[in-house]
Amino acid sequence: MREETIKKILLAVAAILTTIFCLGPFIYMVLTSLSGNPDFLLPTKTFAFTSRNFIAVIFSESAHFLAYLRNSLVISAVTAVATVFLASLAAYALTRLSLPGKTVLLLCILALSMFPPISLISYLFKLISALGWVYTYPGLILPYVAWSMPLSLWILVSYFAQVPKDLDRSARIDGASRLQTLIKIILPVAAPGVFSTALLVFIFAFNEFLFALMLTVDYRSRTIPVGIALFEGIHGRIPWGEIMAAATLTTIPVVILTLIFQRRIVQGLTRGAVKQ
Amino acid sequence: MIDKVKVPFSLAGRLSKMLPADREQLSGYAFLLPLLFFISALILLPVLGTFLDSLRRDLPYLPSKFVGLENYLAIFRDDGFWDSVRFTTLFVAVSVPLEVILGLIIALLLNETFPGRTALRATVLIPWAIPAAVSGRIFELIYNYSFGVANYFTQLLGGGQVNWLGTDLGAFAAVVIADVWKTTPFAAIILLAGLATIDPDLYRQAQVDRANFMQRFLKVTLPLLKPVLIVTLLFRTVDALRVFDVIFVLTGGGPGGSTNAMSLFAYTYYAAGDFGYGAAVSVLLFVVALGFSLAYIKMARLGEEL
Repeated sequence: MREETIKKILLAVAAILTTIFCLGPFIYMVLTSLSGNPDFLLPTKTFAFTSRNFIAVIFSESAHFLAYLRNSLVISAVTAVATVFLASLAAYALTRLSLPGKTVLLLCILALSMFPPISLISYLFKLISALGWVYTYPGLILPYVAWSMPLSLWILVSYFAQVPKDLDRSARIDGASRLQTLIKIILPVAAPGVFSTALLVFIFAFNEFLFALMLTVDYRSRTIPVGIALFEGIHGRIPWGEIMAAATLTTIPVVILTLIFQRRIVQGLTRGAVKQ
Repeated sequence: MIDKVKVPFSLAGRLSKMLPADREQLSGYAFLLPLLFFISALILLPVLGTFLDSLRRDLPYLPSKFVGLENYLAIFRDDGFWDSVRFTTLFVAVSVPLEVILGLIIALLLNETFPGRTALRATVLIPWAIPAAVSGRIFELIYNYSFGVANYFTQLLGGGQVNWLGTDLGAFAAVVIADVWKTTPFAAIILLAGLATIDPDLYRQAQVDRANFMQRFLKVTLPLLKPVLIVTLLFRTVDALRVFDVIFVLTGGGPGGSTNAMSLFAYTYYAAGDFGYGAAVSVLLFVVALGFSLAYIKMARLGEEL
């Protein structure tokens, strides 16, 4: 009985601390973005509510905020769809065809995702510059697709393996081609897993930094994390209110996605690491 | 006899001789081609290309010249390089255990049933979902010397203002805390999934045996969670080794190079146009990461055999 009470108190304290830990910096960001003065914590200052920071960020031509955000959304969405489709093809082959050394191949591909991105960037930079793609979306989308392929494959294989093989076998007997079987039978049945994978790839591409820093030059293809990282303001003093307004606007899409699809994201993430 | 007929050794000939079922099987392998193309063209080839770059020196206004292992020899004599190795090692050694321990505590919490658990599970994902460049910016503000929230609390607790980003120790702590905030959720989520695979009957049995909380944790949870704990440690180690964005934003490697992670050290050479030197540093980091990847593969295969 005593242990129960102690446990309840401990749980409550831990839950509150965890909430503060996770949300504290996030709330600080939102508060600063809504304040006319970023130093509102000083005893001599007070919090002055304003929407000026948001208006400045959204309507400033020189900050290119909207262009960065659009680039990020388009690049991430295209990357997610392309990666999941191409990785599905491979996951189909790995789960439905007899292939010697399948597990080893899969593990070797997974090991690729552990490479430090810095060890690719020298060559990628030269390649993308030589192709003249540093101002274009494909200059980021193609490396992103390659980079998110291993983990997508890993997750999709674990989902496809759970689709009963009889389902696609009977479709094949009815004369459907492999591609038709994949698109009409396996993908719909494994839809939750496919969606989880696409979400993870989207969030990865939206958050990626090093490639975006090296492989883009200006607002034509630069993504929002780089835009925010390099945003220093024009007049010397760092415009914290505006930076936090931009940060808030950037985090809104990913935070909403995360809150809505929490279960899907967790499923996808843990597929890669824990055997069910 | 079909065997006696001489068929010229050609792919077309081989294909026409194959049974329809075999040809079918072969067409299935074509499904692997896009994956293999992307991986070879944009991961394997770049790694190889970076290695070749590391054997050359870039000269201003001239084509780069082959210098063999000179870049590597120069690196080993470069104090800046050893500083970055020391920082990266310390960073991994401090931040990864912190992340896994905190992650384990949060996972144990989320594994219990209490009101608001689903909401808390979603909340925990928020730091993970925010781009590291953005969270780097948030922490830059948090650590602001004159009005950041970090010094607000140090003063509230009776201490003085801390020069977080301007001193070696302060900057190290700042970078570790920012990274722990961003990546602990990942560790927590993976460990929570591991906890979910533990058979509840074992806990019931332990309860019957009157094992207290600590005994249950040490005798049941920890041993059964070991494989997942090791995987989490490996994932986090590989990730922490290549840390870049949060440091780039927060300290830029400073003050005085004291938080110059290896990725950042290599990047400064790329940014200055010295690709050979940067590439050589990248190759060394790659070799270390590869070692951890192989360890992971060995772990995963062991898990399969057991």
